[in-house]
Amino acid sequence: MKFRRQTKLLAEPPSVATGDIAFNLIVFFLVCASVAPENGRKQSIPKSDSKTDQQQQSKNIEVSLTRATVSINGNPHSEKTFPQQLRSQLSTRTRPEDKIVVVKSSKDTPYDVWIRVTGYIEEAGGVITIQREEERTIVTD
Amino acid sequence: MKCEVPSMAMGDIAFNLLVFFVILAKAQDDSHLQWQPATTAKIEIVGHPKASVVIDRENKLYLNGNETAVSSLAAGLQEHLGNSPAGDRTVLFKVHKDTLAQRFEPVIEAISEAGGDLVHVLEEKTPETKK
Repeated sequence: MKFRRQTKLLAEPPSVATGDIAFNLIVFFLVCASVAPENGRKQSIPKSDSKTDQQQQSKNIEVSLTRATVSINGNPHSEKTFPQQLRSQLSTRTRPEDKIVVVKSSKDTPYDVWIRVTGYIEEAGGVITIQREEERTIVTD
Repeated sequence: MKCEVPSMAMGDIAFNLLVFFVILAKAQDDSHLQWQPATTAKIEIVGHPKASVVIDRENKLYLNGNETAVSSLAAGLQEHLGNSPAGDRTVLFKVHKDTLAQRFEPVIEAISEAGGDLVHVLEEKTPETKK
């Protein structure tokens, strides 16, 4: 009596290792998918009070910005000479409150110009504070 | 010949895919907003922010990916920052490079009013970007 062998070829990947593979995938993902840190520039802007010391304000350096011009205390400068001029003016001031630089921007000053100029101010050792024009409605009888 | 896919591993695979999605999904997602950063010579790596404020190329203001108005920005930021100590109140400020001062200066004021540590998100100026 001859017996026929039933050869069953069962091709199956080793399911025992699947758990290990999944664990390794989690580890690889956690390592590689870390949140990319943002790059930027910190800026501390002192809070402005509505009642400002006018005398103190008149002593601070004022930088006026427009779309194409930058001036220090009303004197226009080119972007090349601005950093040096500002540095020379700030170097004579030793007290921290004297190093405050009031930045007045016209309404159409673009952000990249503002960032560039405020970058020069911070590099020169100045502390930036923003001065904006306020619109107030006064009702008269 | 009988080839079978090991069906007992499907549960593990589904669980792992879920974990990957949860890890990568952000609660404060503003990646859909379109804006181009201004450039600067020196930048530094910033730590984990508490909030992000974006002014996109259409001049719209967003707080953590949600459109908001300048008048309600300070209150919204105070809510997010809560009682976090100084140094742990980082607010990322992402502004499209062509935004005008009349738009971004009130926003800077609002962030300062809320007591946030302002960080301008910028791009490093490379020789290519200088051109």
